[in-house]
Amino acid sequence: MAEMWISMGPQHPMTHGLWTLKVKVDGETITDADPELGYLHRSVEKMGERRKYFMNTTLTDRLCYASSTTWTHCYVLTVEELMNVEIPERAKYVRTIMLELQRLASHLMWAGSYMPDLGHITGALYFWRDRELFLNLLEVPSGSRLLYNYIRIGGVKRDLPDGFVEKAERVMKLFEQRLDEYSDLFENSKIFRMRTEDVGKFTAAQAQNLGITGPNMRGCGTKFDLRRNDPYEIYEEIDWDIQTREAGPGYGDCFSRYMVRIDEMKESMRIIRDCFKKMPKGPTLASTIPVRAQGEAFRRTEDSRGEALMYIVGDGTDRPYRWKIKSPMFTTISAAPHYLKGYKVADIPAIMGSVDICIGETDK
Amino acid sequence: MTLFGACRIMAELSIRILIPIFEFQEGLFPPFSNPAGWIADWLATDGGLDTMAWFYAVNIALMVGMTNLILVIHLERKIAARIQDRRGPMLSFRALREIGEDLSGNAPSWKFKKNYSGIGILQNIADGLKALTKELIIPTKADKFLFTMGPIIFISSSVFLLALFPLSDRFAASSAPAGLMVIMAAFSIAPIGILTSGWASNNKYSMIGGMRSAAQLMSYEIPLLLSMAGVFLVAGSFDPVTIVEQQRESTWLFGLPMWNIIPQFIGFVVFMVCILAEVERVPFDLPEAEAELVEGWTTEYSGIRFMFFLMAEYIRGFAGAAVATILFLGGWAGPWPVPPEIWFLIKVYLIIIFWIFIRWSVPRIRTDQILVLGWKKLLPLSLINILIVIFMVEIYPYFTAIVNLPEVF
Repeated sequence: MAEMWISMGPQHPMTHGLWTLKVKVDGETITDADPELGYLHRSVEKMGERRKYFMNTTLTDRLCYASSTTWTHCYVLTVEELMNVEIPERAKYVRTIMLELQRLASHLMWAGSYMPDLGHITGALYFWRDRELFLNLLEVPSGSRLLYNYIRIGGVKRDLPDGFVEKAERVMKLFEQRLDEYSDLFENSKIFRMRTEDVGKFTAAQAQNLGITGPNMRGCGTKFDLRRNDPYEIYEEIDWDIQTREAGPGYGDCFSRYMVRIDEMKESMRIIRDCFKKMPKGPTLASTIPVRAQGEAFRRTEDSRGEALMYIVGDGTDRPYRWKIKSPMFTTISAAPHYLKGYKVADIPAIMGSVDICIGETDK
Repeated sequence: MTLFGACRIMAELSIRILIPIFEFQEGLFPPFSNPAGWIADWLATDGGLDTMAWFYAVNIALMVGMTNLILVIHLERKIAARIQDRRGPMLSFRALREIGEDLSGNAPSWKFKKNYSGIGILQNIADGLKALTKELIIPTKADKFLFTMGPIIFISSSVFLLALFPLSDRFAASSAPAGLMVIMAAFSIAPIGILTSGWASNNKYSMIGGMRSAAQLMSYEIPLLLSMAGVFLVAGSFDPVTIVEQQRESTWLFGLPMWNIIPQFIGFVVFMVCILAEVERVPFDLPEAEAELVEGWTTEYSGIRFMFFLMAEYIRGFAGAAVATILFLGGWAGPWPVPPEIWFLIKVYLIIIFWIFIRWSVPRIRTDQILVLGWKKLLPLSLINILIVIFMVEIYPYFTAIVNLPEVF
């Protein structure tokens, strides 16, 4: 077969959303790639400039369908810095718990959609079954299962209800048992390792140059996590470790990205348990919240997929003058040609699935 | 009484009904004196009766195969669902009644006190009806003749398989001295259909899928046939009946039967891996890898043509399990009270259930890995198996005659 371009997308099982990956193949080997984005652009930033500050949390919820709380939280943090709002101590703990529950649900969503990419449909059903547990947990305080709108400027919508801690402990205990069971099915499986090891490799230096952040970067051995390096909420006071794979020649592949996410899920449960222990009593919403803001603010948080940045300029009215969102997946997908070249056509879903694509936040 | 004998009696009975009908038509077609009469005369001869009997026998074999096909598909759905913590296709008579109520607007007169569930197998019929009612799409730039021929080649070569293997020494539609060679030849027609439909679709995914399939089937046919060669050497025949008889007669310790799986375990493993690749099931289903190639070489097919591919794959799976049973698991040999046909089906279904478990618990492997596995691992292993068999069949008996060694094999 001569060299030819294959267009994968915008409707294709590999894409996990709405984008096109054009790949140039020589037989089965990829020689070039060209990602095309923008099919899902909803102009969230511009819409936000016509709405009041507190209304925009509904838009940020819809940035990523798998991880909505983390995006709302990033927005709320930026606005709070802009307005100089001090939030109560208990609200910080509740926010941390919700963020980590969301991270668990998001990573489980990723693991579930990664397995059919490798031809393992049972894995999808197993991980999505466990995601239901965490969605049920998130539903208890917020009242919804996908778009929570729970984190508000100045705190959270309402306090955790009675019995939440016991329910969460029960769910986490069950999930830990199941993760042990899955280790035989996935990371100890010969065929799973054949498909993911030494595939889609990039080094730590490459990740920094290309702007790849989050679990994808920690998979190549970089010990960098904004929860520790630029701390927000109460991550400083909580007892937890950054999950990485050791740097070296065998790392930075799809398997190390998978393992980093599995380890992060275990670490998230550790954070939640520590929060339950240290959580003080008190109010969960600041008493006075301003409506107007002047100046500019910039915050970055550790999203489930990498570094989420928001920059807001206020001109003294009750609406933002300029709102800028930087999505971690935009840079990661743009770097696709660098880590796709030289691998086989069958590796495309294995590689593109392993970086955890969410087109909602990418196209904004 | 064999299947053919029964069919011969059926043919004789049916000719007694047919001859009066043919005689009634005499003189209806003026230019010919009596064409129907010629046919009737020929059918009444020995050769004509044999032909009719073969026709019946093949049809019975096809019906048995098609019934098994529905069962296999249902089994696959139910076991997959149980593995995945689901329940699979379910339908009860009560649900049927409710559907009837919805359609007619009033409650039907028949009622059940208990909810008789477990007729989810009707899902297959619903799927078949759905496929029949769908539009048959041919892409504008496709090669229309080859696009239509692809599914025909694939399904006909697969249905042909059903008539070839015997369920027991008496229940066989065909018994050729080279039976297993004919089965393997029929198996290897399918790649032509796959390549044809992959190329004729004029679609890059289809073409890559077709090429992958051709590469895979070509590289797996060699170790497959080499692993079968060991069995042929032991039995000294290609005939399924002879192979099974040889396994039934040879005994092991304490008079246990020595089926070929015991002395030729390597050959059995190689054969199972190769036949899995030959029938293109997970983990070797990369010609239709849905993650990257959408549906591989079947991407452009719709309706009943797509259903043909699906059916043919399950028929090939069933036939592959049947060949494995004949070669290595003693075919229809088993203790007395259960009839041999049932023993055969039990073994075939055990293999199929094993495959279903594999299918729903491992990922798919990659093209280059599958070729490496075939050429670098399975081919040497199958050669080692042949060496063991040659030692067992030829060299050891030769020395036994000279040195007076104990007779082990």
